[in-house]
Amino acid sequence: MTGLPRRALLIGSLAVLFAGASLLFYQWRTDGDRLPDPEAVGNRVFAATLKGLDDRPETLEQWRGKVLVVNFWATWCAPCREEIPGFIKFQAQYGARGVQFVGIAIDQKEPVGVYAKDIGINYPVLVGGLEGMDFARQVGNRRGVLPFTLVLDRGGRVVATETGLLKPEKLESLLKPLL
Amino acid sequence: MRLVVSFLLLFSCAAWAGEPELLEPDKAFRFSARMIDANRVEVRYQIAPGYYMYRDKFRFSAEPASLSFDVTQLPPGKIKKDEFFGEVQIYRGDMRFVLPLAVAGEPVPRFTLNAVSQGCADIGVCYPPHEQKAELRLAAFSPAISGAGGLSFLRSSPGTPPPAAAPGGRPQSEHTLIAELFTGEFWVLMASFFGFGLLLALTPCVFPMIPILTGILVPHGERLTRARGFALSLAYVSGMAITYALAGVAAGLLGAMLSSALQNPWVLSGFAAVFVLLALSMFGFYELQLPGALQGRLSAAAGRLHGGHFASVFVMGALSALIVSPCVAAPLAGALLYISQSGDGVLGGSALFAMALGMGVPLLVVGASAGALLPKAGPWMETVKRFFGVVLLGVAIYLVSPLLPAALHMLAWSVLLIIFAVFLHAIDPLPHDAPGHRRLFKGIGVIALLAGAALLAGALSGGRDLLQPLAGLQGSAAPGAASTPLRFQRVSNLSQLEAAIGAAQGKPVLLDFYADWCITCKEMEAFTFTDGAVRRRLDQMVTLQVDVTANLDEQKALLRRFALFGPPGIVFFDRQGNEIKDLRVIGFQSAAKFAATLDLVLR
Repeated sequence: MTGLPRRALLIGSLAVLFAGASLLFYQWRTDGDRLPDPEAVGNRVFAATLKGLDDRPETLEQWRGKVLVVNFWATWCAPCREEIPGFIKFQAQYGARGVQFVGIAIDQKEPVGVYAKDIGINYPVLVGGLEGMDFARQVGNRRGVLPFTLVLDRGGRVVATETGLLKPEKLESLLKPLL
Repeated sequence: MRLVVSFLLLFSCAAWAGEPELLEPDKAFRFSARMIDANRVEVRYQIAPGYYMYRDKFRFSAEPASLSFDVTQLPPGKIKKDEFFGEVQIYRGDMRFVLPLAVAGEPVPRFTLNAVSQGCADIGVCYPPHEQKAELRLAAFSPAISGAGGLSFLRSSPGTPPPAAAPGGRPQSEHTLIAELFTGEFWVLMASFFGFGLLLALTPCVFPMIPILTGILVPHGERLTRARGFALSLAYVSGMAITYALAGVAAGLLGAMLSSALQNPWVLSGFAAVFVLLALSMFGFYELQLPGALQGRLSAAAGRLHGGHFASVFVMGALSALIVSPCVAAPLAGALLYISQSGDGVLGGSALFAMALGMGVPLLVVGASAGALLPKAGPWMETVKRFFGVVLLGVAIYLVSPLLPAALHMLAWSVLLIIFAVFLHAIDPLPHDAPGHRRLFKGIGVIALLAGAALLAGALSGGRDLLQPLAGLQGSAAPGAASTPLRFQRVSNLSQLEAAIGAAQGKPVLLDFYADWCITCKEMEAFTFTDGAVRRRLDQMVTLQVDVTANLDEQKALLRRFALFGPPGIVFFDRQGNEIKDLRVIGFQSAAKFAATLDLVLR
């Protein structure tokens, strides 16, 4: 037996450890998508400005300090429409206790207006168009699908990111501790 | 034990992908199209299980717009109740339908079919309207024989079985070819990747591995049997193969910028340090062989140590794989790209494992040949070891070269060459009766000495080009057109890119992804972009560059837009501003090959 293998083992193992640590560090430092900082994502949400159904620009900043539920949806998305009646109910029920729902439609203004009126949406609806999906991706919608819902606490931190249909029980259990 | 820790670390990297796995839209709704005859297009959507598409959301258009499609004949779908839209029809499974094609005005030899569709997954999410394209070609198209049929050819987006080479069609770039390999059967796929690895073994990529393996085998000297040599090589190759397999699995699960993660300055410097340590041992700064007495005692306990020995060889193999990965960037990027889209870690891991085994075949041959291909112990072996030491140091310099200023880079090479020359006795007097080989070595040593001296002089006199170190001493002669660096227009986000493409005024556009740490990017700049023939073609194009060194969000968005893992990557747009997917250049291309690619873009 020779000295090389033991030495090589030591050097090799150290190098692998080093490489692994570097990789972790690199991911942590550069890839915000993977390990999102709840506050940083929250700030991205509040930085957005989108047009309302009346064409007036609205900033999301105006709802800072509330328990905010941001729901990305579209009229062409059946599961989205399925969960909206529940949101309307929750807005009526918890609105006075500081809960604010905001809908962001990845859609055109006209069908959104018709639908909102038809079903009686009682919270602000902003129109993002297809570009709204870029915004959704920036705040954690990795695959760019709908529905996609963020729940932010009063401190502006994202406490939940839900892809797909959000069940009323689940939403209630998310909101209750934040009230 | 340390192995276990290392692997745990690697797996912890892969464990972040925690979201419900949703397919990318191109994978969930696989689109392809072909010409049935001159006036009918067959469109096919392979819809993944658990996904569906809306019948009334399809929009088909053509470029040029003189062509149009009749979409009134779409087949009926399954009825789905929708409380807002009433009853809607949806498609599932493998859908094929025929679109009659109407031509108004001049007939065209080829056109692009733009298909916009919208679908959802049963788990309760929907995808936004999504555009997919197929480039369709009417090779024998002529208005007089428009009914002839059967002579049309197709090129379409990834996901279709590769059409047999269309006459005059665009050749496919390496990574498109690899993506298409994945459409085959599992074992066919593995065999393809093994063969692919064999081809890679013929490239210089594997050279740095030979000295490492030799370093492992040589200390065994006379005691090295064929079986043991083969077993050691196998351990080494397995380490390499498992590293690639892990990269495949990680790509499948993470879809992150793996190649850039491996090319970041810390990792590069770390590996360079390992190479320097190995090189120093080759030069005999510390002994690789234990003192004779100890060695005797240890060989008695050899059985106990075998395991550890193989483990160390295994680790060396794993490290070597990481080291040569920049060299095989092009095929790796193609494979990783597709694996990350498929989300299939097992398939990706197996494919890259097979590829690495193919790459390892020459190493196994070296190992199995035991004595035959390896030097016997003795003074001759010392020379070989020193030579490999120099090679290892060279690899170390190459690895960190993107991080070094040009002057330091030249200095490093000059130091290496001069020391190499001294080892070859370039400055020792030759005895009168010196044998031929010593004279040869002295000759090589003197050449190395002169080259090193030229580099040293060049670096100190302000020369910055490794291949023309003394150019700075020629005075400021009129600089040739080709020697000025290529001027790129910088873009840093999607809107700037779109604006630049819009302003191209009918010129094709080249978009180069660049980063300071990217070795291949630097090589392209130094060897390919400076070439006269390449420059003449580039002058007819708009050249854009994105510097992703800082890895900002908007830069990452650009990489995602083109489904790239990171630089190197060159993307082309035709005169209409549409991306030419088949011509992407990932990894290094020589000037001749790159010029040929540019010709296809300029057509």
